[in-house]
Amino acid sequence: MSQDKSTAMLGGKAKKPKKYKKPSGEIKTPFSWREFRKQWFLMLCSAIFVAYGVLFYYVPILGWAMAFQNYKPKTGIFGSKFVFLDKFVFLFSDDTFINVLRNTLAMGVLNLVTTFIAAIVFAILLNEVKSTLGKKSVQTISYLPHFLSWIIVTGILHDALSNSGIVNELLMTFKIIDSPINFFAHKSFFWPIVAFSNVWKETGWNAIIYLAAITSIDPCLYEAASIDGAGRFNKMWYITLPSLKPTIMILLLMNVGNVLNAGFEVQYLLGNGLIKSVSDTIDIYVLTWGVSQGDYSLGTAAGIFKSAVSIILIFIANYAAKKMGEERLF
Amino acid sequence: MKFKKVAALMMAAVMVASFAAACGKGEDAPVASGNEVVEDSEGGNAEPSEYPEDEIIDFTMFAAMPGSEINEGNEIQEIIAKKTGVRVKETWLTGQTAAEAVGTIIAGGDLPDFIDGGDGMMQLYENDCLVAWDEYIEKYPNIKEMYTDAEWEMFRQEDGHIYWANVFQNSYGENRATGHNDEAFWIQVKVLEWDNYPKIETMDQYFDLLERYYAANPTMEDGTEHIPYTILCEDWRYFCLENAGQFLAGYPNDGSVIVNKQTLKIEDYNTSDTTYKYFKKLNEEYQKGMIDKEFATQTYDEYIAKLSTGRVLGMVDQWWDFAFTVNDVFKQQGLDLKGANYVPLGLTIEPGMENRWHTYGDTVNNSSGVGVTTSCEDPDRAFQFLNDVLDQEIHDLRFWGVEGVDYLIDEEGLYYRTEEMRTKAADDAYQASHLCTYSYLPQWGGTSKDGKNAMQPQEQKSEFFVGLADPLKKCFEAYGADSYPDMIGSVVEENAVWFPMYSHSNAMTTDTPGGVAWTKMGEVKHEWLPKVVMDKDFDKTWDAYMVKYNECKPEDFLAEMQTELERRIAMAEEAAK
Repeated sequence: MSQDKSTAMLGGKAKKPKKYKKPSGEIKTPFSWREFRKQWFLMLCSAIFVAYGVLFYYVPILGWAMAFQNYKPKTGIFGSKFVFLDKFVFLFSDDTFINVLRNTLAMGVLNLVTTFIAAIVFAILLNEVKSTLGKKSVQTISYLPHFLSWIIVTGILHDALSNSGIVNELLMTFKIIDSPINFFAHKSFFWPIVAFSNVWKETGWNAIIYLAAITSIDPCLYEAASIDGAGRFNKMWYITLPSLKPTIMILLLMNVGNVLNAGFEVQYLLGNGLIKSVSDTIDIYVLTWGVSQGDYSLGTAAGIFKSAVSIILIFIANYAAKKMGEERLF
Repeated sequence: MKFKKVAALMMAAVMVASFAAACGKGEDAPVASGNEVVEDSEGGNAEPSEYPEDEIIDFTMFAAMPGSEINEGNEIQEIIAKKTGVRVKETWLTGQTAAEAVGTIIAGGDLPDFIDGGDGMMQLYENDCLVAWDEYIEKYPNIKEMYTDAEWEMFRQEDGHIYWANVFQNSYGENRATGHNDEAFWIQVKVLEWDNYPKIETMDQYFDLLERYYAANPTMEDGTEHIPYTILCEDWRYFCLENAGQFLAGYPNDGSVIVNKQTLKIEDYNTSDTTYKYFKKLNEEYQKGMIDKEFATQTYDEYIAKLSTGRVLGMVDQWWDFAFTVNDVFKQQGLDLKGANYVPLGLTIEPGMENRWHTYGDTVNNSSGVGVTTSCEDPDRAFQFLNDVLDQEIHDLRFWGVEGVDYLIDEEGLYYRTEEMRTKAADDAYQASHLCTYSYLPQWGGTSKDGKNAMQPQEQKSEFFVGLADPLKKCFEAYGADSYPDMIGSVVEENAVWFPMYSHSNAMTTDTPGGVAWTKMGEVKHEWLPKVVMDKDFDKTWDAYMVKYNECKPEDFLAEMQTELERRIAMAEEAAK
């Protein structure tokens, strides 16, 4: 979801990467009613979005109060007993939570790295394909999986990796293994399976933005490089990749905040009792405790923790980008 | 399998919708066919009250159990709607756990009119989602009749009201159970037949037989490979792996604990010697390749699909968890004639012990049942309907079907079915378009109010034996049994006053330390039990499991169960005075 959003937002930006220097001293524009009235239409337009933001992003935050209560729907937010940090104390003393936190971080980072690299490599390689027809068809086919819902993807995976599935059949035919491997019974396979399914599903889609960015690279650069004797690989390395750097940095920054959104559907649908200790994520934890067990407070506490960590991650990444003199969010 | 079913249902729904659109007045179409049948079956009940279509109320119902939806315009549903003025649209659990589904419904506030929340019943109560039954129990005689006053007392919640009634395991008149609606080690008839119906008493003998049979017959007739033994351990259904220890030790199905009758103390079967031996045996068989390699990761659907092919020779399960679907498929595919049906064996850990796999008589499981929710606009009508579905005429329609179409009556007034009728009743397309059992609404087992027939066809003695496939019949004869309970041979005794203890653990929430322990124990067992079966070094894994298990503080849970046990005993003594 959030990846889609970022792509949509950046679509325009990537095409014309404007390099402008941020003014060193803040220029202050004093507020004046005259200006405001003159722009009444613009103000009205933006007011709608401000209202939308307040209503759907800020009002729900009031629900966070639940995390500090022993919330029951019966008594509601105003009638439930305040327990302050009790729920957080329970959370951090619960081994399961520490465990799901580890899983979420691990899968999040693994997904981020693999999908990221795969998309860049794919875009650069695809850009080198000379036949327009081949390029277009590969691109279309590659982003189709993005539109499949996870339930279908996991269904395919479940079949392909089952004892009589294609993967085991192939491995057996080539005599790599003697008896079928039960992929979902081994803890060590789970994270790679999740990462792979993310790569399979999102590579084509994520590559679109890089392909768009590549088209905006000045062809003179390539010509000049050719004259200087650069081969294909050198051109990729010294021209395409550096030109993509701003796009890459922005996307990376935005996605870092998403690391803890390592997924819910994949893990929920592919996990089983045996590998629970590596497959459960924070979202599943919230579901089991918050919804199944009816402990909304604990679920909310876990959710708050997740948001807080995400915000911190974004700030760190942004700060790091700033230090390195790269493109950044704010 | 599932996908096909869903697809078929959707097609059917689209057809109905387009049909309705095509003829403008959609209501006329499905009703017309129902009408004719009604006239046929007009027997003793000469009540003229037929509800016209515009007076029929549509209620919704959610049951936290997987099930198949019936078609819109289902024939018997329409007949019942005309007679009672109520039509109930049932929806079932799909791809979630009961607690998740109920939690989502509560959080979203989108309650159906009727609900059976399974494990989530307590949550519904705590969130004030249910309407109290008390005044309606007095008002509607059929509802009141369901339980004795003492039994109704068991459903009373802390606030002094009754909010639901369990609809199962409740007999009217004489109990006629011919089935073993409980847990057992099941085995295909063909395996027993192959070895000339041996006496099987212990797990060792059971697996020995499976091994010998599998060695002699590695594949089925059509070349599909046999799976000697599989274990279902998905989500809450992991009882198939988890609780055999209590039965093997000769205890009845208290579910989450065992109760020592001498000392009246709660004991934990998870750590018992018998359970250890049970898992050691499973591990040994797994290493020999006798147990399905995929068992730990299979879903319920995959498990049922596997059983339906007839290639699984044996497993532990509850009858209701597999038999209805699987036996129907066997009948459709003709596999029942090849001895694919399962019979229960009452195994114990040592030979010659008493077994209590079978629960005789009724079990009042007060932890769940059907309730009417606060979003039902006309609760009185809802309760009236619960009352109506227990009317003998409607009850017969639900379980026997339409007279002359689904069953016939002989000169003595006994209901019977022809072979063709039986096959039809097992066909899922026919079940969706014609039959409507409202299976999670109040119902009776036992003897019909006419004093002759059984309330439900599978309990009709004559019907039961005729309906058995030949290999099954031969097997029953060989063991001298005339019903499933006979076959498993459990000790006949009255249920203890505290039975079943699982009705308490099922209703636990994480508000108490015992409830937290219970949830955590469940999580640990889910992860470790399959591992214990599969790991090469059994003892090491078992020890590691025990460490993890004890970290969950099972003593908190056991202490709360002990309190409940004492409460129940005291309550029974009170009632006896």
